[in-house]
Formats: sequence, structure tokens, C-alpha cells
Amino acid sequence: MKEIYLPIKAEVVEVLDMTPDTKLFKVKPERPVHYQPGQFFMLSLWGKGEVPISITSACGFHEYVELCIRRVGYITSAIHEVKPPCDIGLRGPFGNTFLAENAKNKDIIFVAGGLGIAPLRPLITRVMNEKKRSRRIALLYGSRNPGEILFKDDIEAWQEKGLQLFLGVRKGLQFILSAGKKDNCLLSGSGPAAESSRIPKISFKNAYAFVCGPPVMISPTMITLSTMGMDENNIYTSLEAHMKCGVGKCGHCYVDGVHLCTDGPIFSYAEIRKRRLQIV
Amino acid sequence: MKKNLIMDKNYLSYWLRQIRKTMSLIAPMRLKNADIVFKQVDNIHEIELDCPASLPSPKEFLLPQKEYMFRFSKNSVDVLKDCTKRLIFGVRSCDISAIDLMDRFFGEKFVDEYYMSRRENTVFISIVCNNPDPTCFCIGLGTGPFLKSNFDIQLTDLGDRYLVETGSKQGADLIRGYSHLFSRPKKSDYDDQYEVILSSQSKFEKRISLENTRQKILNEKINDLFWDWIARRCFECGGCVYACPVCTCFNVVDRMEQEGDGYRFRIWDACMFKGFTRMAGNVWPAEKKGSRIKQRYFHKLLYYPDHFGRFGCVGCGRCTITCPGHVDMATIAHRIDVGDRRRR
Repeated sequence: MKEIYLPIKAEVVEVLDMTPDTKLFKVKPERPVHYQPGQFFMLSLWGKGEVPISITSACGFHEYVELCIRRVGYITSAIHEVKPPCDIGLRGPFGNTFLAENAKNKDIIFVAGGLGIAPLRPLITRVMNEKKRSRRIALLYGSRNPGEILFKDDIEAWQEKGLQLFLGVRKGLQFILSAGKKDNCLLSGSGPAAESSRIPKISFKNAYAFVCGPPVMISPTMITLSTMGMDENNIYTSLEAHMKCGVGKCGHCYVDGVHLCTDGPIFSYAEIRKRRLQIV
Repeated sequence: MKKNLIMDKNYLSYWLRQIRKTMSLIAPMRLKNADIVFKQVDNIHEIELDCPASLPSPKEFLLPQKEYMFRFSKNSVDVLKDCTKRLIFGVRSCDISAIDLMDRFFGEKFVDEYYMSRRENTVFISIVCNNPDPTCFCIGLGTGPFLKSNFDIQLTDLGDRYLVETGSKQGADLIRGYSHLFSRPKKSDYDDQYEVILSSQSKFEKRISLENTRQKILNEKINDLFWDWIARRCFECGGCVYACPVCTCFNVVDRMEQEGDGYRFRIWDACMFKGFTRMAGNVWPAEKKGSRIKQRYFHKLLYYPDHFGRFGCVGCGRCTITCPGHVDMATIAHRIDVGDRRRR
């Protein structure tokens, strides 16, 4: 029988400081793992516990896995103390994936808030590599302060390939997405001319959106995007919950009839509305 | 596979004694403080059958309160798995239905090997309830007082003899080799069985229709104020969850014994506890007590039927006995169904 709770051994090869409280861990699992954008691993430290961590590295390259971890809790603090080389445990990958196939040859808008860029990174990389000239892709990225903008190299590389980038700092995405305030709204397009030039140049009717970030950001973003004329089925987000097993058994992530770990964590806005999923 | 036999009551202890030689025998026993619990039998005459339902459900033999999963040291990890052969005797029909539900939950998608290794080595002998407790309401759910399928062996007490029904291969294995104890049932035996079941069904004091409750919730007759009102009487003790034979949530905890050495085990967890959904960074989806109670009852009344086609309640009435605030499944279902939906 397959051991679903037994982590495989993985070696931490490299640790990069990204911001004072965020580190990028380059991990080499015992055997290569196959994963898709949006999935997560259960990262396991023997003697501490397990946490779900989304995968940051581009899919298709399976020998190393990159995990972007912010120090917030007990286990993430413990893993920040890890000095390479060191062995940790990995289980997974678990969860469903961003359905990038449906968005083929369509305009795409990515909305990331803070660490939300991490799970979107493999998807953006894949989309940018497959990009054709006519396709328009925009990234709205908000963070608390300029120093906390992650993956600057990647963003530059994406921009060279034609990504429309909109950075919002200080108040983060509130600045970009404040649909209510007319003077500096970016998406609604009814603001002053100077501001409206900063609207992402995509056709919202047929576009796909991938939203990822802190819970406080997700719900206003999705509402704004749907009022912009996007189909609710085409707005995807990644929800988060307390998880202990990652395989739909422990019950911690069970909300409104779905296990976020096996049925999620990626949901479309239509599904969230239908099931009345709570975005914390 | 399905086979009906008659056994004289005097043969029961002999039969159990013979079976006990090959596997561990667990049955309801009375403790010194008069509580009924399932535990390993030392003396077969101590088994209590004419007694109220045991308060701890027999789920603890399949999903123990504390189950060691791994023993880890610096260089190695051992998988700890329980493969003890067990016979659990004297289980009620509602508990067998609950175990059937747990089988389906743990066996779907990702198969839980800890549960399965225990389950495959456990055989149940259930007994038809001749005297249901005042708290029981399994009759409205089709999970009791007797079962039509999904049991290993079911006994019906017919006064001086038992009607023995086998429903699975594991059950048939227990009977094989003891054919001298059993005889073929006569028509009068079936008549007696019918009478016993009828009299048992008439003894139920609670008639609760969870289907009506479900319909009321689906038609949005219940708003959040109702759950907040229920929450005012909830002590968040988690007793209903721990006593429930269907509830399966668990927490995974690591404990270090020495430097680098330790165990990873899982323990029961309860969605009634405040920190159940709290994440790092103080993100807290179900902080309010009312929303937690709503989640638990929606799970049992709406999501279980959607997913498994059966309610996540078997009507054993354990939460009715356990709950200090009298906000158990029977009370809440009755309130929603019949009325008395006082808001404050």
C-alpha cells in the first residue's frame, strides 16, 4: 500500500535570503517529483511538524524544487534556522492545479499580493515561454514596501518577453484595485486620463485571471475583476487553510463541503460563489 | 455468503473462548464506576450485553485517540502500524453503520493505510438492540436497531437462542469449524425474529427526521442567528466530537524524546475547538463559535449526504448523553424540524 503520510527525504541545497523574513529554499528530493503550477508540498521537519508550502520553481524541471517561505509560525520559523546541507521531508505534490490549458491563446491577468507571487511564478513562467506576439499578459503585483518585491530578476525577464507590469507598493494592491475611489482607480478605467493609461491593455471579456495573495486581498480583487466584465468562471484563486495531512483525511481544511487540500486549493470565482466558500 | 443459523445461548461463551485463541477479543464491559466501555476481555462471563450503549464508541479500535505513526531518529524513520487481529463483540448496529461510513471515508482517493491495516484485521459481531436507550434515534436513519447488510456477523437475541446472520467473508470464517454449535433456523425462529424487531422498533422514544432538518436548512429557513443562539449553550468541550462514532478529524503532532529521537503521532481533534482552523499569521477562518457549530452540523446534515448518500449521523445518541449544554444532534435537529427557533 502506498504510504501517504510518509515524507520522502529531501536535501536543502541552497538558501537565499529574499527579504528579512522570506527565504527561498532550493531542495533536492530523494527522487524526482512531477508537479503542476498551483500544487503544494507538505514540508516536514521531524520533531517539529508539517506545513503546506506552495511550489515556486518552474514546472518541467523536476530535480530541484524551490520553496519560498515566509517566517510566520512555529514550523516556518524552524525551517528558517536550517543551514544547508540538511535533510528535510517532503510529501506531495498535493492539490489541483491552475488550468493554464484553458487559457491558451487568451489574454491573462495575474494579480499577486506579497508572497502570492510565489505560487504564480511557475505559471507565469510557463505562460511567458509559450507566449505568442498577439497575446497580452499583465501582472499586477502589490507588496507592502518596495523592499518586499520578490523575484525581481524573473519579473525583468518576463517584461522583456512582453509582460505588462503594474507594481503597487505602500498600500499594496489597494492602490491598484480601489474600484470605489475614482481618482486613482486602475482597473475601472473611469479615472483621469493619466491614470487610465495605466489600465492593463487586455480584453477583459475573454481574459483569464489568476489571483493569489493574502485573504484580505482576494475577495475585493475578484469582485473588481468580475465587475470589469470578466467571466466568473475564468477568475481563479488559490485558497489557504490549516492543514495537517494534505490528503483530505485530517479534516482541518474542510469547509463548505470541500477539502481544500484535495478538491482545491485552486477554485474559480464562480465555484467560490456557488459553494459560498469563505475567503477568510 | 449470506447465511442464517441458530445457536443456543449456552454455546456462546464456548464459541467466543475458542475464537479468542486466535485473536484478541474486545467486548462491552462494566467498569467499577458503572460505565460501559469496550475493552479487552479477560473473563468471558464479565461481558455485559443487557446494558446501555457504551459511551466511548468502538471507533477507538480503528482510529485510536492517540496513534503512533512514525518513530524517527537522526538517520532513520520507522513506520509503526498496528496489525493486531481483533474481534469486537457486542457492537450495536449504529456503530457498525458508522464504521461502514468511516471505511468509505478513509478508503476513498488517498487510502489511509493506518486505518485500513486496523480495519482489515478487525471483525465485528453486532447484536440487534432489543432494548434501545431513551437517547437512541437510529430508527429514523435506517442504521438500526438491526442491519440488513454491511455487517460481519449479526446476532438476534430470541430469548434462549441467537439467530446468527453472516454477511461477509470474515464473518463466515468465524463460523467455519464450529458447525456443531449451529443448527438450521426453522420458520418459528424467523417469526420470533420478526417479533423481536417489531417490539424493539416500538420502544424508541425519539422520532427524529434528519431529512426534514436537511430540507429546512437547504431551503434557507435557518439563518446564522440560530447557530449563534446554539453557540451560547456550547461549552466547546469537544465531547460530542470525541463520542461521535462518525467523526474522524485528527491532528498530527511530533514529540521529541531525546536529541533527534521521537515519535510522530496523530490524536483526535475536534472542529469545536477554537484553534482548529487557525493558521500561522493569525488568519482564522472559523473564529466564531457559531460558525464552528454550523460547520459541524452542515457537514453531517448536508455534505455527508451529498458525498456518501447517507447522513453523517447514525443516531447513537452519544452526543445527547455527553453534551453538558444540551445542544446535541437530536436537540438541534428537533429544533430545526419542529420549530422553537427562538432567536434570543
